[in-house]
Amino acid sequence: MANYMLLLHSNPDAYVKLSPEEAQKALQKFLAWRERLRSQKILVGSARLKDDVGKVVRGAGKPRVTDGPYTESKEVLGGYFTIEASDYDAAVALCGDCPHLEYGGTIEVREVAPVPGV
Amino acid sequence: MEPESNAPAHELVDHLFRSRAGQMVAYLTRLLGPEHLDTAEEVVQEALLKALQTWPYSGIPENPAGWLFRVARNAAFDVLKHEKLVCQKSVELGILVESAGAPGLPGDPEFEEQLRDDELRMLLMCCHPAISRDARLALSLKTVGGFSTREIARAFLSEEAVILQRLLRAKRQIRNDGIGLELPRGEALAQRLDSVLEAIYLMFNEGYATHSGAELTRQELCGEALRLAQLLADSSVSTPACHALVALLAFQAARLPARVDGRGELVLLEDQDRDLWNRELLAVGFLHMSLCAEGVEVSPFHLQAAIAALHASAESDTETDWVKMLDLYDQLMEISPSPVVALNRAVVVAKVKGASEGLEELRLLADERSLQNYYLLPAVEASLLLQIGDKDGAARVFREALRRPCSEPEKRLLIQRWAQCELIAPCFY
Repeated sequence: MANYMLLLHSNPDAYVKLSPEEAQKALQKFLAWRERLRSQKILVGSARLKDDVGKVVRGAGKPRVTDGPYTESKEVLGGYFTIEASDYDAAVALCGDCPHLEYGGTIEVREVAPVPGV
Repeated sequence: MEPESNAPAHELVDHLFRSRAGQMVAYLTRLLGPEHLDTAEEVVQEALLKALQTWPYSGIPENPAGWLFRVARNAAFDVLKHEKLVCQKSVELGILVESAGAPGLPGDPEFEEQLRDDELRMLLMCCHPAISRDARLALSLKTVGGFSTREIARAFLSEEAVILQRLLRAKRQIRNDGIGLELPRGEALAQRLDSVLEAIYLMFNEGYATHSGAELTRQELCGEALRLAQLLADSSVSTPACHALVALLAFQAARLPARVDGRGELVLLEDQDRDLWNRELLAVGFLHMSLCAEGVEVSPFHLQAAIAALHASAESDTETDWVKMLDLYDQLMEISPSPVVALNRAVVVAKVKGASEGLEELRLLADERSLQNYYLLPAVEASLLLQIGDKDGAARVFREALRRPCSEPEKRLLIQRWAQCELIAPCFY
């Protein structure tokens, strides 16, 4: 078993036109998906990243700070889930019914490297 | 308030967002002033979207409605700061943002009472006589009901742009005419209540009519109309007519589950399985029926509710007290005559005095302009002709009914009845 990070990228405008009722329906699908991960005891952690563009720091010594990194792309990293899975296939399969995809988002799946020697 | 830890962590109360959206808009509009209705709507939408983007990661907070109110309130405060609208309102709102706790949160009984009052004032404002009839309905659904422009358009079989224009015009009028949230008094209050009752009645009919919109939206329209009628009836400005409207809508809504059969076909009142009528709603109907009897006023809603109550208390169509029903229709024709009421009355006349008498009544309506395109006039006539054994006449008049606009389920029902008098299987048509 290894930990996988599911990085949820989305276009923030995707939800703007939802009515309150539709927003609740979308949310309920998300919560049901999250609940499935939780009940299978494979949800390690999750967090939302704030809406603002964030900062990018470059250069040693006197670092240069810019807004970013996604200022030119419409997609932003909205948050992540860390889950436990046996391999990439299993981790990807768990994303298959994530409502995020239904609303036009993409999910980047990355295996977390175990700390050597542990 | 109930602790929510026992509830499954992934479930929310049905329509929480929609119902709280209406309340939040009403609440913030009071704090910001009606001229900032748009801002109130925007920050509420923002709060809902923020929940949608946060709760999947964090799970549902302990007080979901409280979370939404806090976020919306903070966003409203930010807008005020940003626009430098430093005034009494922003001070007031600032204090609320700072205190960020009880009693300014949903769940607190005092606050919930305040919210009901906010909703009531908002509803009355949306139905101000200066705003056009059509716009009153759309504005009430948008601001108090928490429906989107698209959903309203779908329910009214209208273009989204048309509804949007209607809403924009109404909001401009609120700003320009200085229409406010204060409750009118005396004669003005009576007039305003009439306007609100009419809007709620139309809202329900729009949902109830078989010709309009998507099924789900229609049911929600009926539910919202009933909720608003109850809000009004339970408020400090309630009148017997408000209770009569609740009773009428509750009785009608109770019949909804029996109105369509398993195959989606329309079932007429006389053929409905009355066990399917919603008992809870019938109870609501009878409760408000008794409440509306206070005072001397007899409004058209009283008579319509009494008619619906008579159906609701009958075991079957044949056991209905048709004599009493006819008396109620006679009274209704006296205080609020209309061709549609006259048509319904003719059906009752036929039940009491026989089909020929019913046909006599219909003949009086033959030249009625407003019924020229109404399929139910020939449909009723054809049914009565069938009862007196005139199959050819009935077939001819059913064909006439089919030439008039009606919904697909209504059309199928007509074809089926027509086929009965032609003695042919309906599947050939």
